Amino acid sequence: MINALRAGAYGIPFMPVGGMWGSDLVSIRPEFFQVMKSPFDGKDVVCVRALVPDYAIVHVQEADAFGNARILGPSYQDALLTRAARKTILTTERIVGTYRLREEPKLTAVPHFLVEAVVELPGGAKPGICYPEYQTVDWDDFRAYQRAVKEDGVPQFAERMLEGRA
Amino acid sequence: MRDKRMSLSQASGLIRDGMLLAVGGNGMHRNPTLFCLELARKPVKELKLCGAALGIAADVLLATGQADTAYFGFFGLENEAGLAPGMRKAMEGDGHARAVEGS
Repeated sequence: MINALRAGAYGIPFMPVGGMWGSDLVSIRPEFFQVMKSPFDGKDVVCVRALVPDYAIVHVQEADAFGNARILGPSYQDALLTRAARKTILTTERIVGTYRLREEPKLTAVPHFLVEAVVELPGGAKPGICYPEYQTVDWDDFRAYQRAVKEDGVPQFAERMLEGRA
Repeated sequence: MRDKRMSLSQASGLIRDGMLLAVGGNGMHRNPTLFCLELARKPVKELKLCGAALGIAADVLLATGQADTAYFGFFGLENEAGLAPGMRKAMEGDGHARAVEGS
């Protein structure tokens, strides 16, 4: 998966990937995995097709109005998603001044030129967790979500969670 | 640099039918869940999702039937939250959605 996104980010159609040998995934999904001969030594190599998302949707703790963003705590693969996608939509716990990002440029995980939209959305990861803002799952809302999935009521659950937000 | 601030409704309006979306976060952590819940209120459909460890935000769009494909290395909510209910509903049994597992 990561190599598919890397290929997307680098602008190449596919990427060799190590470690897929023995997995049935290679034969089950020929539209995603193919085996080819290395042009250098003729050995078999598994390749994965590039993924180029239309948008990366990423929730962050801090972004400025232009889309420069910081991720506090684990960043997972989010920086890679923004490089692979054509454009990024950020939701952020808060908008901060650009001066704050300039103090520590290395901490900017997403640069502005990848970003098309910045939405100030505190609590945007609820009912899940967003370190360090809220560090436990909101179990009442999560159970309500589980029930909504069973009862085909997710749009109604969405209405309740988004009440009062524009 | 251009000011790109907009409302949740405006930003979700950028998403069109059939788009491939990369969804950030991991499991229950730092997912763009409210953004996906906003999409759940809209008629957008035939979305394709991808991510290294898809979680609750991607789960929303499978639960509503708005996403028909997910590319992922892992898909779940982990710990007490367990499996992803919308993904299971969409993919198990005679589910309509397609899983492309990339490990």
